[in-house]
Amino acid sequence: MIYAIRHTTRFLYEAPVRFARCNLRLRPIDWDGQKRERYHLDITPHATISTPLPSGYPANTVRVVVDAPASELVIESRSRIVVNRPMPQILPDDPSVGEIARLARQVRDLSMTAPANYMFASPMIPIEPSIVTWCAETVNRDDGIVAACFALAKRIKAEFRYKSGVTDTDTAPIDAFDRRTGVCQDFAQIMISGLRGLGLPAAYVSGYLRTLPPPGKQRLVGADATHAWVLVWCGPARGWIGFDPTNGIMMAGDHIVAAVGRDYADVSPIDGIFLGRNGQRVDVSVDVEPIEEETPRPTRKRR
Amino acid sequence: MAELPGLPTRVEGWIASYLAQAGEGDVMRGDMGRGARWWNSLLEGVAGLTGGRLALLQERVERQINEIGTAFRLPDESEERPWPVSALPLLIGEDEWRGIAEGVTQRAALLESLLGDIYGEQKLVADGALPASLVAGSPHFWRSMIGIDPPGGHRLHIYAADLGRGPDGEWRVLADHVRAPTGAGYALENRLAASRVMGTLQQRLHVQRLAGFFSAFRDGLAAACNRADPRIGLLTPGRYNQSYAEQAHLARYLGLLLVEGEDLAVREGRLYVRTIEGLKRIDALWRRMDSRFIDPLAFDATSAIGVPGLMDAVANGTVIANAPGVGVVESTALGAFLPVLARRLTGQNLLLPNIATWWCGQENEHALVRSDIDHLLIAPAFGGRPGGLRDGRARLGAEMEGEARRLLIEDMERRPQDYVGQEVVRLSTMPAMLAEGTPLPRPFTLRVFAARDGVGNWAVMPGGFARLSDTADIRAAVIGEGAFSADVCVVAHKPVEQVSRLPAGGKVAIRRNPGTLPSRAADNLFWLGRYLERGEASLRLVRAALGGTIDADSGAALAPETAKRVATLLVSSGAVPEKEEGEGITDHGDVRALAEAALDGRGIASVKTLLATVRAIGEGTRDRLSAEVWRLLDTGPPPEGAKDSGALLDRTTRLQERFSALAGLAAENMGRTAGWRFHDLGRRIERGVLICRLLRTFAPDEALADDLTTLLDLCDSQISYRSRYLSGLALEPVRDLIALDPFNPRSLAYQVERIGWHLGVLPKLSDDGMPEEHDMIAADLAGSMATATAARLSHTRIVTIENKFYALSEAISRRFFLQGSESLRAAGMTRLA
Repeated sequence: MIYAIRHTTRFLYEAPVRFARCNLRLRPIDWDGQKRERYHLDITPHATISTPLPSGYPANTVRVVVDAPASELVIESRSRIVVNRPMPQILPDDPSVGEIARLARQVRDLSMTAPANYMFASPMIPIEPSIVTWCAETVNRDDGIVAACFALAKRIKAEFRYKSGVTDTDTAPIDAFDRRTGVCQDFAQIMISGLRGLGLPAAYVSGYLRTLPPPGKQRLVGADATHAWVLVWCGPARGWIGFDPTNGIMMAGDHIVAAVGRDYADVSPIDGIFLGRNGQRVDVSVDVEPIEEETPRPTRKRR
Repeated sequence: MAELPGLPTRVEGWIASYLAQAGEGDVMRGDMGRGARWWNSLLEGVAGLTGGRLALLQERVERQINEIGTAFRLPDESEERPWPVSALPLLIGEDEWRGIAEGVTQRAALLESLLGDIYGEQKLVADGALPASLVAGSPHFWRSMIGIDPPGGHRLHIYAADLGRGPDGEWRVLADHVRAPTGAGYALENRLAASRVMGTLQQRLHVQRLAGFFSAFRDGLAAACNRADPRIGLLTPGRYNQSYAEQAHLARYLGLLLVEGEDLAVREGRLYVRTIEGLKRIDALWRRMDSRFIDPLAFDATSAIGVPGLMDAVANGTVIANAPGVGVVESTALGAFLPVLARRLTGQNLLLPNIATWWCGQENEHALVRSDIDHLLIAPAFGGRPGGLRDGRARLGAEMEGEARRLLIEDMERRPQDYVGQEVVRLSTMPAMLAEGTPLPRPFTLRVFAARDGVGNWAVMPGGFARLSDTADIRAAVIGEGAFSADVCVVAHKPVEQVSRLPAGGKVAIRRNPGTLPSRAADNLFWLGRYLERGEASLRLVRAALGGTIDADSGAALAPETAKRVATLLVSSGAVPEKEEGEGITDHGDVRALAEAALDGRGIASVKTLLATVRAIGEGTRDRLSAEVWRLLDTGPPPEGAKDSGALLDRTTRLQERFSALAGLAAENMGRTAGWRFHDLGRRIERGVLICRLLRTFAPDEALADDLTTLLDLCDSQISYRSRYLSGLALEPVRDLIALDPFNPRSLAYQVERIGWHLGVLPKLSDDGMPEEHDMIAADLAGSMATATAARLSHTRIVTIENKFYALSEAISRRFFLQGSESLRAAGMTRLA
């Protein structure tokens, strides 16, 4: 499948902003089962674009500096991504949860996708004992890793209520957990906190979902905005497998990875600073359109 | 004090009673056992200084500590506390010290090369000598620093180790500090306090001096910079940081600019400080701020105290000491690997052993800790609060029972990598001065500092500070929670050369100006001047108001109209909040109540509020104030007593004396630098505004005699008037004296003249010869003064002049200061859904 993605962010300031510097992590990375074909970034007013020092996580960061006073900043990111990712299978000889935790501690690798980077608490995702206890009810030491994580994703989807406006970007995982309510970011953080608490390497993904479902399918939640889900390291043989607790599914052909990190702070599409007074509004619109179907994939049946 | 021959001396008595209580591993007992005499000399010297009263020594040292201004703040407290100190230093013989210094040097070098690998090739990880999860587990590991070579070649410039001495006399490393090691300043302050009290006793004991260490550190920073004679800043998180007092003191001692994130700016990949002369290059920063906060674009995007783009400047050669990310080697768990890593990286065994550590992230070690849990200390491997140690503190395994033990074991099963087991160390004791007035043995740890010198070698501070405790496990004790500190002196067998404090002649270029004034410092000094002047004005008004009530019965009270004018001014100046304004002030009781509110109330210009304000401003610019000024600012308001006019007047007098002292210090003791000019500008502008207000209130065409007297009082010009005019009060002469007479230092004209003089000397931004906005306003003010006459000083005319002062203040702010209302903000992060 080839997707055309248009991601527009509009900042409106009450008073003109004198100087803004932002990090954009909008250009989707290449990842297992997906490749970027084209990319275009448009910023108005004119901005200086540079490549900062690498962040150390799988994300394409560009630095944007707007020097002239501006009361509106529009960032439009357009990409064309080929996705060819089969639905992951649950295999009888998948390593167990306990085995994955043990292997993860031993891997002699500190590169950006090494499991060691994703098995500890991170700035925005502390390991919360009550979340860990809750997750341990579903994820047992002896379960196969893929089956266990899929079960956890489905349980979050079943037991939590999707509602926007209740939580915020900086809502702590434990607050959303206690309310059993939130959006994709909260669900991903809760799942990650629980899995890490059990010793498993779990990463945070920002990305996109196909906006309109294929005929006969349900529209996925989170498709009209940037989406977030979870990657779990499933051993050297299976590598990183994606789980989407918001929709209770695994990552396959409808998910497009934009960036991967320990938590939102590593992958946030736009962050930065400006010099000015308070009072800004942000509008985001995301459109993910399939351009053409590739050859039919047998794995789709599993849905 | 004379001692009788034949009887045991007082010192022998102290020693005997101390040794009777001291255990096997006591430092003094050990030293004396080896025949060292320095403890005897110390105690004899102290006995001589104090007439045999040790408690007196403690008192004197504490007084010095207050004098020097040593203070610290506990987390979550806004008030600083004095630094608790025990007056008796820890003495360490130079032989024993040499072992410590070599061990600390080796360790610093080892950590440097370890960091080089972690943020470089990562060979140690690839071949299994260093587990990847041991690196990634540290909250201070920053992947973005991988592959970033430190400008100057070193990631570490300063290092501190906490050492414990076992009862066998062996020193062990308990902890490493590399992020922003605190305490070097405290060590210096402890020593300063002790030297002031003990005088030459320290020389007689051959105590090695600390000054050399600090100049080595500064040389080391300078050597790493690209420019000769570089500008170096100390980056502080601000005055609410626990060790702000130490930072201010060190900045001053080392000649560094004390800067906050807001003072700095990155342009085109270079780091600058905002000064009154515009942006000026900064070559190096000693950061006392966690990596996480130093650059919101590279680390935590929500940090409001950092410098956006700082890491870009690092890529272009700006030195940051220590480099961001070095904290990764502070992990407790690393101790388990250092013995092997030392052999591999330095080819030597560790000279100072670690406290024995087993990291549970390894299977065998985990099993060992599990089976031996009752004999070990269980600690978080990376700090933080793992699920089994939820308060984040190390615990004795044997003391963990019931549910706590179950949780610990369960979490160690799930996340063994978060835990270490450590041997339980016993600490030896040293003499401590407690309330009892005689020395008592107390367990201690020692913090030792090392810094890179100008050629990149490690210099170890000959001394440091000891932390003493009453509890058996001193590591659980934070200073201030029952623990206290003591100076550490390295005693040489031979006299110490007295060279260290003064650098070799000719090495230091002579300069008469302390360098460029950062905008924030200028801003603070300016407002310090304005608020101090405002405080004085409020006090004068209070005095006038009270004076009007006190003599009421003897018939000398002010005319009711005048009293009412004073009252109105108390309200309009902000000394008394609007709502307390008596619509009709009918009797003297009302005026007294207003005066009381102006002293102790919540009005924005009440004396109480202004005292708090000037203290806060002073604290934020403490590195530029003398200790005397700070002490005056730091003194709370005098206690509220009786509320009658007489008592209030007394209190007013005492407060006026304090403000006069501050004015005197500024006038006589401050160096005539740009900083002083801003301080004085603040005072002049505030006084100008005030005089306009007074003229409007008390010198209208229909002014009464009482009005004019009050005006002269409030402007402190009573005597000047009488010496000029023998004929009594008249409107126009009073107006002329207060408004236009340039020879009266309390006149409007005088303020304008001084303002013009200051502005003329301050730096210009442009070189096109065009006057800047503030220059034009000042010239305009001077013109108004020159063309005014006492007869034609109408209300409108004064208002016009008053407004020019306000405009001038704003123009000065715009030109020289940071733009406070336009501060750094996090761009709204977009939500994922």
